[in-house]
Amino acid sequence: MTEAATAPHDHGPVQTRPTAVAVQGVSKTFGNGASAVTALDDVSFDVPQGSFLSVLGPSGCGKSTLMRLIAGLQPVSSGSIEVAGGTPDAKRRAREFGIVFQQPILFDWRTVEQNVALPLQIMGRPKGEARERVEHLLELVGLSDFRKHRPWQLSGGMQQRVSIARALTFAPPFLLMDEPFGALDMMTRERMQTELLSIWASNPGTTVVFITHSISEAVLLSDRVVVMSARPGRVLRVIDVDLPRPRTDETRDSKEFVDVEAEIRQLIFSQEHR
Amino acid sequence: MSLARGSKGRERAITALVVVVVLALWYVAAWLVQSGDDPLASSKLPYPHGVVDQILDNRSVLAEAGWTTLKQALIGFAVGALVGVLSSIVMAQAAWLEAGVIPFILAAQMIPMIALVPIAQNVFKNDDVTRIFIAAFITFFSVSVAALRGLKAAPPPAYELMGSYNAGRAKTLRYLRLPAAVPMLFTGLRIAAPLSLVGSVLVDMSGAQSGLGYLMLAAITFGSEGAAVLWGAMVVLLLLGFLMAQAVVLVERVVAPWQPNLRHGSA
Repeated sequence: MTEAATAPHDHGPVQTRPTAVAVQGVSKTFGNGASAVTALDDVSFDVPQGSFLSVLGPSGCGKSTLMRLIAGLQPVSSGSIEVAGGTPDAKRRAREFGIVFQQPILFDWRTVEQNVALPLQIMGRPKGEARERVEHLLELVGLSDFRKHRPWQLSGGMQQRVSIARALTFAPPFLLMDEPFGALDMMTRERMQTELLSIWASNPGTTVVFITHSISEAVLLSDRVVVMSARPGRVLRVIDVDLPRPRTDETRDSKEFVDVEAEIRQLIFSQEHR
Repeated sequence: MSLARGSKGRERAITALVVVVVLALWYVAAWLVQSGDDPLASSKLPYPHGVVDQILDNRSVLAEAGWTTLKQALIGFAVGALVGVLSSIVMAQAAWLEAGVIPFILAAQMIPMIALVPIAQNVFKNDDVTRIFIAAFITFFSVSVAALRGLKAAPPPAYELMGSYNAGRAKTLRYLRLPAAVPMLFTGLRIAAPLSLVGSVLVDMSGAQSGLGYLMLAAITFGSEGAAVLWGAMVVLLLLGFLMAQAVVLVERVVAPWQPNLRHGSA
């Protein structure tokens, strides 16, 4: 797979779409003086509108920090991030980011449907509209029968599905996911990946930034993969993945998939042994 | 599920066993004390059944004194809990507020109650108000410190989540911090409940003219029969403290049944 993609797929080639998130020369340093730690160093890439982008890297490459910068939860140290023509902080205030963390962060004092309704409640949306929206999303993530359950009565995979539903209830244009399947077992993880793709397909126009350390996960899900090195986090290469969509479990076995995976693996290992 | 019920049953059995053992030890100790040649022995440690007799004989007096002590303790408990929660909310707003207030709370906690009671009596010139004040004072510490800890219990990503909803201070407090603080709050309340009662009794004993503590002091001067009344008053106090703590537990089960130790049917 090359950086210049040829075959267009369902969403159209990513290269031709307008840029939704522009990350330019971003660095992030924690602390100051001798104890300062550089988490990100001169990171640049573009996220095309309505595309699925993964940031792939080993632990300690600052990829979670990168997500927090895009989400406007932390300021950059230098460089700039532009989200749909605004600053991350302005977009955060405008509630344009739905976030899913590695831990589902569900509130035990709320039922499943109350957890999904939380953002709408905080944003003061009308109750009727909220109920409809919650119902729709629980159906989308396949948890309609569990709406009255408490989070701790669900399995890890189900909890993360609730978390995804919660992130999408207020229909944010951006979905940011920080290793959302990292705490799940391999089988659940693969099922969640294909489920996420179908959830995404039913929310057209949503731009996804997905943080992961799994090469196959990044390749299966993404239109574009930002491969990063560790300490300090730098961009090794930005790779466009133009495997046809919809991608399914069969995609994992296709030659193209295996080729991209191998390319990225070689890229990362050649860095490590340099 | 069956395992949980089994362990619950075992807990009850152990509690019952401990009560039986304590009663048996009491009988043995009372027998040892009274088998000596001390003529005042029975006033030092009466038999449990003697105490029960005295409680029944003096039930109206004990009930009245108990109610006086309990009522003010309950009011003080409520006031102290409310002030404790409010102050913990204030402290939880900023690190500098907490750093500024906590030393005073710790310092105030170091004041011996036995020194504070006469001061409060002089200030309020009223036994009821003094009881309420002391009970509230004691409750305040446990509750404010526990609630503050609870208000800081939510994990960092939970705050980031609230940030992504652009939830302000008030909404973060309402939807995240307060509910997350509930388990710790109840821990504080459970500790404070019996202590507030002890505070109330302390005022009874420090020159008040009513209440369980007053009854205890008065009973001491009445010889061997008085000793049984003293022990009876202590048993009543113990029961009241136990009931208050249990009431807190009961309210907790209704208000926050979602806590890990109160759950049924966890996956």
